Amino acid sequence: MTASTLPEAALGVLPRADGSAKYSHAGYTVTASVNGPIEAQRRDEHPYEAHVDVIVRPAAGVGGTRERHLESILQSSLTQIILVKNFPRSLIQVVLQVEDTPENDYVNTKLVQASLNFAIMPALFQTSVLALLSAGVPMRATAAATAVAVVPEDGAKKIVVDPSPRQIEIAQSVHVLAFTSQEELLLAESEGDFTVKEWDDVYETAQKICCRPASTKEGMEMVLDEEDAGGPDMRHFLRSTLESKVTADLHWK
Amino acid sequence: MATTSSTGAPAAAPSLTFTRPVFAKLSPHPYLLLSLSPDESSSTRSRRTNGRAPHEARPIQINTGSLSQAHGSALVRTGDTTVICGVRGELLPVTSIPQFRPTPSYENADDEEKARKELKEYDLLVPNIELATGCAPQFLPGVPPTTLAQTLSTRVYSLLHSSGLVDGRDLRVKYRPVRPPQDTEAMEEDGQEEEEEEEEVKAFWVLYIDLLFVSFDGNPFDAAWAAVLAALRDTVLPAAKWDADREMVICTTKEKGKKLNIRGHPVPCSAAVFLEKADQQHQDKGRHWILLDPDRLEETLCGEVITVVVDCEGNETRVRSLEKQGGTVLGRELIRGFVGVAEGRWKEVVKAMG
Repeated sequence: MTASTLPEAALGVLPRADGSAKYSHAGYTVTASVNGPIEAQRRDEHPYEAHVDVIVRPAAGVGGTRERHLESILQSSLTQIILVKNFPRSLIQVVLQVEDTPENDYVNTKLVQASLNFAIMPALFQTSVLALLSAGVPMRATAAATAVAVVPEDGAKKIVVDPSPRQIEIAQSVHVLAFTSQEELLLAESEGDFTVKEWDDVYETAQKICCRPASTKEGMEMVLDEEDAGGPDMRHFLRSTLESKVTADLHWK
Repeated sequence: MATTSSTGAPAAAPSLTFTRPVFAKLSPHPYLLLSLSPDESSSTRSRRTNGRAPHEARPIQINTGSLSQAHGSALVRTGDTTVICGVRGELLPVTSIPQFRPTPSYENADDEEKARKELKEYDLLVPNIELATGCAPQFLPGVPPTTLAQTLSTRVYSLLHSSGLVDGRDLRVKYRPVRPPQDTEAMEEDGQEEEEEEEEVKAFWVLYIDLLFVSFDGNPFDAAWAAVLAALRDTVLPAAKWDADREMVICTTKEKGKKLNIRGHPVPCSAAVFLEKADQQHQDKGRHWILLDPDRLEETLCGEVITVVVDCEGNETRVRSLEKQGGTVLGRELIRGFVGVAEGRWKEVVKAMG
């Protein structure tokens, strides 16, 4: 049932940051702030490009090794879409604060979890892209990510978009894929037990969500009732969020 | 002839007035590029600066049982990347697990699944990776663990659980209570007719899996995981028994220890993508090379990396993990092809493991 809820987002929620965004979907709520380009620390300074610094703060406690891993994944992906060469020797800082996560009633919540946190990755990804857009950081493309799980069900395998923690627990494999707006595969993380064939199916499902082609050319009356593919249309979502923000900002004219 | 006819790439070697190491240090990207795309007129094939072909991995050497104090150990060497792994079991009595719940056998028929949950819930596998000072110049002494070390240990930790390598049932120390004769009467009064006492878990083995990089020359994950796999296969836990009178676990050297039951043979295979244009912001990316088993110099020059963990033990190749990040070159087709490359690597590593 988690997939049925549509994503929500707000831009410019933090007054002091260069750009910020709040995003919630599938039980996750994340707030991001972006500052940049600012002066880089001496050790991070790169002579030809901007250093992208990503900080993930969990909802409870301080970040551990798992957050470091998430940060490194986000950092390498965001560096690809930001035009880092335009800002040599500077720093673009993205701080992500997780506010809310869906809870799994079946397991004890511990601070150190054994598995990678796949389900939170799309939320972190979308929030950081929205915050970067809000900060006006020049980018090569936008990007969107989605989480997909392959869950065994009555002997057959079912592909679940935006799986709940319970579904992840029983899933055979969990995948996170991110695509740029040019429909290139930016990030692919998978865990579990799967074949190349299954991965192909997952790839197609994820691609449909992240870069569904606009049905009518720039048509404002999007065909919203045609929700057959399952899961939200991320590309359209990013676009419409920004459009509404721009309209609100230019309202005084 | 060769020098005059070339228009695009200049013939580097004769015109250079400094040596190869200096060139590599000064401008590493052109250095690797020139090596990978030799003059078309010359007969040399595309080579990496370390002399390997783009799809050639370094041979792997695996030595097991070299640490005498650990219950299992392995030394893995691929080129100049050397990692040593020691596995040591420590006993954890259930009384010191705060959230311990003895799960009765009737609750869940699938014992294997239950054991898997125990592994996760009670943290019975504790991997730790240390990138020691001196294994490569970028690691400085006296600093907290680097992002690389933390990321690596998270990856090893999550793969250990997701691949289900260790059977949780091997880590239980069980005890079947012997019922004194007078107790049976009391039980009969209760109306329960239990012929056989249930085995209860009294303690768990916790496996501390410590990895130390002796020298670091790129591709740390492949070497680290191979070391973990080889060390776990080598691990023999001493025979342990619960002593009801003393209420503690006693290990004996008289009985032979128990080898761990390791399921499957997941082997990782990593590669990095080297782009012709260091500036990847153009629409046209130019040529690219997929460099298998990258070394330290190549890793610093490549943004996009891929790691595929495969297990070809059954008749169908199973992918256990796939990680690709930091670029957009590797699409669906290339990743599918890369799984084939990983299958080849799997055979090599399994052969080395013996």
